[in-house]
Amino acid sequence: MNIFERIQQLDRRWIYIVVALAIALPLAFPFNSDNITSPPTENLYQFIDSFAGRPDRAILLSFYHDASTMPELFPMEVAILRHCFERNIKVFTLTWLPSAGPIIDYAINTVKEDYPNIKSGVDYCNFGYIPASLAMPTVLGMGDNIAASVKTDAEGRKLENLEIMKGITNYSEMNLVIEFSGSSAGGMWLFYARPKFGLNIAVGVTAVMAADEYPYLQTGQFIGMLAGLKGAAEYEKLTDVFGAYREPGTPLDLGVDEDGNKIPHGRSFSSDILRDESIQKYLNITPQHIAKFKPKEYQQFVDKHPEKKAIFDSLKEEKDGMIEIDVTKVTEAQKDELGYVAFNDLNRLTYNIPYKFKVARIGMNAQSVAHIMIIVFIVLGNIGYFIQKARQAKQQ
Amino acid sequence: MKKTIPLIIVIAGGIVWLLWVFIPHRVMADDFYYKFYMPWARAMAPFAIILGVFSLSMMHTAKIRRRAPKWQYSYFFFAGFIATSLAGFIGGTQKGGLYMWMFENMAMPMSATMFSLLAFYMASAAYKAFRARSAEATVLLLAAIVVMLAQVPIGVKISKYLPNISQWILDVPNLAAKRGIMLGVGLGSVATTLKIMLGIERSYLGGD
Repeated sequence: MNIFERIQQLDRRWIYIVVALAIALPLAFPFNSDNITSPPTENLYQFIDSFAGRPDRAILLSFYHDASTMPELFPMEVAILRHCFERNIKVFTLTWLPSAGPIIDYAINTVKEDYPNIKSGVDYCNFGYIPASLAMPTVLGMGDNIAASVKTDAEGRKLENLEIMKGITNYSEMNLVIEFSGSSAGGMWLFYARPKFGLNIAVGVTAVMAADEYPYLQTGQFIGMLAGLKGAAEYEKLTDVFGAYREPGTPLDLGVDEDGNKIPHGRSFSSDILRDESIQKYLNITPQHIAKFKPKEYQQFVDKHPEKKAIFDSLKEEKDGMIEIDVTKVTEAQKDELGYVAFNDLNRLTYNIPYKFKVARIGMNAQSVAHIMIIVFIVLGNIGYFIQKARQAKQQ
Repeated sequence: MKKTIPLIIVIAGGIVWLLWVFIPHRVMADDFYYKFYMPWARAMAPFAIILGVFSLSMMHTAKIRRRAPKWQYSYFFFAGFIATSLAGFIGGTQKGGLYMWMFENMAMPMSATMFSLLAFYMASAAYKAFRARSAEATVLLLAAIVVMLAQVPIGVKISKYLPNISQWILDVPNLAAKRGIMLGVGLGSVATTLKIMLGIERSYLGGD
């Protein structure tokens, strides 16, 4: 048996081993890579962002999938929830599947850990599981009155009594639905809610289903789409660059203005900022633990925390004209002395992204390697096939 | 009579819903929809779940009783069903309870594992079966390679034009094919619906 025949008859278990390594190694050892954002993702981000800080606008997330498609869809859900919590956007959630009920709780809890001021019934509201047989009447009913159609949230509270419902009546206010699905997404909203009420719809789908949704994107029936892990990675990036952006020294928590309205932090979407190389420091997915300052920046930073200057000075090191502070070297006693605000202000300048907010980007590293591997497999398989075919023709 | 009454229900139901969609009058919107239909729909939904649970339980009970092939696995259905139901009913479904623990540590990883097996089959199929045997297969193969490369960060490093070429493949040939299929399915659905509503198509009633 020559080498080409061997290639053709390679035992599939070798292929499985290569696949396992190609996926596992990039997940275990992340490296920095940049995901270029696509128009469907940018459009969705901008649409959601246009609701920032508005009490009369809200979005609805429909979790229409079970746990099997979570690796692709869950990072999208987390990224969008994070964007909404960062930018003070009201969020509603529901599902038509009983098995997706816990996914909603899991997603909200995952994001909420980092936002202690976000409250159920005020900033977000989970309608919970609504049986699929009630999907059509619910979708249509919400077009007239959400509180009359859904009545209670997942915790059994009457919607009409919840603070989040102030200023929210129907699709005129809850003007965007995003459905996450492992199969065809958005159908119910598209067929019933959009023609009758003009509801805006977007979808988050697994990569294999993305091609099916392009006709609706082209007609404008879907205002945006997150396609597979790539879409999730792009949304994570946009949230890091814009939604989670803070000018050094600004408060971490959601602020409140003189009238009691919440101030959305972050900054608005801009293509120019996306193209700027300076954003790279917000995108590193490898662990970051050193806060770097130019001397002038350091002075501005400590001026915001004058009573902590001595501690910062004891922590700083000078390297190549830059001042660096390694947050891993801050002892527990020093953390206590600095306090929550000053330490987190410092920690924020390391630009270290928590794992849960960069899962999709780490996954895209694995997907990069896996795609290259599959292409190599296809090429090798075809080379072997044609050489073998040529030899057979020669022999005949 | 056994066929006439269901037929009348289907035809009347179809016409009522058509009227509801096209006539925005309060008789249809409020009296019919909110006061009549919604309470009935809410009342019916739990019966569907009860019916499902009964049907599934009866199927697995029969399987165990008849010692049908792989009947032992039916015990896992009952164990899983009872344990999950009890965990939810007794401890609640919120974070910190047994139900949520079971979801996070059992349901999620097991479901994800099953789905992730696709990657292995796809890689194996790509190697063993994806051959440029004809001109059409070669076009498909090249399109697949371009789209796969453009989907990942490394593709953009290879060529900055790849994402645009990939987007063109998705926006033009893919879109044309998908739209053709969808129009066909849509027209077929309308035709079948009309046949059912007019009583021409009656196979759903059983018999000939």
